[in-house]
Amino acid sequence: MSAPVIVCDGLTKRFPAVTAVSELSLTVAGGEIVGFLGPNGAGKTTTMRMLIGALRPTAGRCSVLGGSLARDVALRRRVGYLPGDLRVDPAMTGAQLFAWFGRLRGGVDAARVEGLVQRLGLDPSRPFGALSKGNRQKVGIVQALQHDPEVLILDEPSTGLDPLVQREFLALVRQAAERGAAVLFSSHVLPEVERIADRVAIVRAGKLVTESTVGDLLDRTRRHLELRFADPAPAHLFDRVPGVVAADVDGRIATLAVDGPVGPALRAATEAGTLLRVNPAGDDLEDLFVSLYQRSDQSMEVH
Amino acid sequence: MYSVVSQALRRRRTSLLWWSIGLAGLAALLAAAYPTVRGNSELDRTFANLPPGVENLLGLGNGNLLTSPAGYLNSQFFANILPVMLLIFAVGMAAWTIAGDEAAGTLELLVANPISRVRVALARLAALLTLLAVLTAVSAATLIALAPVTGLDKGLTAGRLAAATVAAALLALAFAAVAFAVGAATGRRPAALATASALAVAGYAVEGLAHQVPALRPLRAGNPWHWLLAADPLRHGLTWQAWAPPIALTVLLVAASLPRLAHRDLHG
Repeated sequence: MSAPVIVCDGLTKRFPAVTAVSELSLTVAGGEIVGFLGPNGAGKTTTMRMLIGALRPTAGRCSVLGGSLARDVALRRRVGYLPGDLRVDPAMTGAQLFAWFGRLRGGVDAARVEGLVQRLGLDPSRPFGALSKGNRQKVGIVQALQHDPEVLILDEPSTGLDPLVQREFLALVRQAAERGAAVLFSSHVLPEVERIADRVAIVRAGKLVTESTVGDLLDRTRRHLELRFADPAPAHLFDRVPGVVAADVDGRIATLAVDGPVGPALRAATEAGTLLRVNPAGDDLEDLFVSLYQRSDQSMEVH
Repeated sequence: MYSVVSQALRRRRTSLLWWSIGLAGLAALLAAAYPTVRGNSELDRTFANLPPGVENLLGLGNGNLLTSPAGYLNSQFFANILPVMLLIFAVGMAAWTIAGDEAAGTLELLVANPISRVRVALARLAALLTLLAVLTAVSAATLIALAPVTGLDKGLTAGRLAAATVAAALLALAFAAVAFAVGAATGRRPAALATASALAVAGYAVEGLAHQVPALRPLRAGNPWHWLLAADPLRHGLTWQAWAPPIALTVLLVAASLPRLAHRDLHG
């Protein structure tokens, strides 16, 4: 890890009707991937648009590579940006866009573009307007990565990607980080961030709710599991199992809510009978948000 | 910066082709119809008693008879159809340069590249000027080519025909600058289009009414329609009165709007 590459310091953006981002402070070091999590409307996109220079902060400051992308035009050469709502001239093909942006960034690395196009399985000869949502997103990913940038600002980058392509994309992002790139990666899906991020910053209503390592966050995450047994299970099987906060055993099916590691609950289940299947149930992130928000609300009330 | 110019040109090439065909066709039609008007003195008598305001709007002041080449071309083309056509083209493109591209959501991704908003704006204005120049050249060339065949060259040189076409293009440029400036400063394409169109219509009306309504006369000094019609470039050539005011207005509007463009929020 090196010095911070992306820095937000007390960053605030007020629009006439709403405060979209409020005193947000966040750093991303070179070689680090930070997952930027939060529900829609939490201020993730506004923060990223301030970083990229599309919006001017109302208060506070943000910098990338030691400067402001809004003022220092040359600095943008070293940054890759994928907007949350990617829009390209519908008549323009992927190849045309990559060539154009390559020229603007001081030269096209045709081999690198070709490599990215191959790995993602994109047909660069089709006009953007004729592409499916997933293929449009691939165009966005290629243009963000084609110049091997030192900074990646990716707003909900895997929207619309099928799981195989998503895996390839995450591998590309990981490789960029291994080469020293600083990556800020927004998402509203926890599993994706789990897989890739070193740290997670969670925002809600424009405020940073928590910032921690992924491991730490997962320890705090409530998981919902559905267990299927070969034979009916005892009704009170999970009553004193550590981490299980709620259990509903209905014959051969048990639904559990577990905080932290799920090991003890699974051990209890395998000891009780033949466990056929374990299915995840419900959205972990929603629960995480709920519990984090409740905590932050309480702390706000206390102070 | 050159790649932004060429992208803007490539984007408009189909549209440019159709506009060129349209304007050349219009100019050819106009020239082809002249021989039927030329000897018709009844037309001159009918148009002899027009109110001075209307006469001025048709470019028939200064003793230009409707059946003379100058009167015919002014009243049927240079004082109305040509400037309006060029104006529609130029205003539409000017509203796109920043505001239209911003509303389409494509500007944000472009200026995440190492190019400033101001440079994008200037590159696209350069593309607009290029396309307007092509349309001007096509219109003028068609008329100049057909003038000797149809008798439109009587008393009119190729230089005068070119001058009148350029003056009409400069009027279009002035209103395009309004659309550009409003769009660059606000990012609102409808506002850009509405402001430029409203001013163009109002300017035309004011120019017509100013003959009857003395109170409107002070407005003429800032009215591109007045600059065009008063200069009568078909008769006097491209005098500084014809080219300097629209160019000055364009430079002023562009210069005034760029700082705002550089510092405001882009719409998402």
